[in-house]
Amino acid sequence: MAFTATLSSGSGAATIHLAGELDASTAPDFHEAIDDAVATGAGRLVIDASELTYIASAGLRALVFARQKVAEDVVIAITGVTEPVLKVIRMAGLDHGFAIATS
Amino acid sequence: MEHMKKTSVLVLDDGPEPPQDLRRALEEAGARVRVHTPADVLAAEPVPVVDVLLASAEVPPNIVRAVARRMDAQGLRPTVLAYTEHDFGALEGHVHSGSDYLMPPFLTSLVRARLGSCREQAELSRALSEAGGEADLLRYERELEIGREIQLGFLPESLPTPAGWGIDVRYRPARTVAGDFYDVFELVNRRRLGLVVADVCDKGVGAALFMALIRSLLRHTAEHGGIHSLKTVDMPARHDARTVPMVGAATLLNAVEATNDYLTRNHVHQGYFATMFFAVLDPVTGSLVYINGGHNPPVLVRAAGGTPSTLDPTGPAVGVIRDSTFTLGHAHLDPGDVLFIYTDGVTEARAPDREFFGEDRMLDVLCDGAGSGDDLLRRIDGALTGFVGTAEQSDDITMMAVHRTGA
Repeated sequence: MAFTATLSSGSGAATIHLAGELDASTAPDFHEAIDDAVATGAGRLVIDASELTYIASAGLRALVFARQKVAEDVVIAITGVTEPVLKVIRMAGLDHGFAIATS
Repeated sequence: MEHMKKTSVLVLDDGPEPPQDLRRALEEAGARVRVHTPADVLAAEPVPVVDVLLASAEVPPNIVRAVARRMDAQGLRPTVLAYTEHDFGALEGHVHSGSDYLMPPFLTSLVRARLGSCREQAELSRALSEAGGEADLLRYERELEIGREIQLGFLPESLPTPAGWGIDVRYRPARTVAGDFYDVFELVNRRRLGLVVADVCDKGVGAALFMALIRSLLRHTAEHGGIHSLKTVDMPARHDARTVPMVGAATLLNAVEATNDYLTRNHVHQGYFATMFFAVLDPVTGSLVYINGGHNPPVLVRAAGGTPSTLDPTGPAVGVIRDSTFTLGHAHLDPGDVLFIYTDGVTEARAPDREFFGEDRMLDVLCDGAGSGDDLLRRIDGALTGFVGTAEQSDDITMMAVHRTGA
């Protein structure tokens, strides 16, 4: 499945909808979406991961980047996380920097 | 001259038509002629492939250069020729900007000779440009190859193996350089053995540079910072008398914390981190103290068979969160047991249909019992090769088997 990262914004939140597999070859698209989301100046960043089927370490790195790029008081919520993706995020111990909600 | 390939000519003209006698001479000289305005060519996608760009002197030289540059950028590299019927002053500007020129009378024989030399020049220019690109690529590949060799120097030259133990490793980068690494080194006057398997996030040269940094930080701190750190480490109360004091535990904790501290202080904005399994083994007793920093849980395969146990994370990946808490895990290897440590290149290996090898398949192989470490790695390798088939290896694969052979 082809990877897509789609940005939308409204009511103070920027939402990045991820679909497909987030790995080294697709992470640059996610990086770009994060930059664009930061540029909106929204106080809340939502990463909709309900259609994200796989995350490689390059994807985790993109999440770390997102955490660094937004201001500290901006909440990053990862929503709709599927079990395989959550497992990878948890194993690396990166679940603390984000508000995670499973599907 | 019929066997010769036709010279393709693009006449660049803002006017309605190029001079009749020029057009006739071009055609009689065997050229394939097209006429476009500069605006057409600049907007065309893709730009037409031609040998000669024949521009009316009335088109300003900078516009002609812009058109030529656009063709050059796509590797077409036509020879630029300016023509005029009577405005010889305008021709001068073109000659100054590097174009060749064509003037009346437009006789077929003269035009043919000029086109011939222009085409040769275009072909030569194209060949040179391709050779230049290939040379760049070769230089780049050579540099990368040097990077690979240097990176291999960051892996241990040999695996120090205490009596009664066997250590086997498989290391297969997916690309020329890798983010995975492993290390085996002696600690505490050879009374302990440090074992590391780690995976720097992401791929390519960036991951490889951080591999070199993280490996060096870990090993240097472990080899040289142990004594100093003994005072600062509080051993958790839950450890029983058999494991306290754990020689090497302070060294381990100090190495991982110092590495995490260094990375989060100096490199946090580059976003690189590593998942790692770092264990300190007492070869005499078989007891193992470890930190698993966000890494795929190593599997302890018992000689007696049965469900293998996993050594789950005791802290997050190293280099992400400042002042992370890492706790110590404990395990014990009895004679015949094998500890299998690996990176996610094993579980995330993919079949041609994109399916993952996965933990279950790996555990199935491991459940068949230990044997020697080399046997075990061979079996995993066989299962992986069969599963992956013709698919391309997508991630670095590192595996280490630590086998307690003696009684």
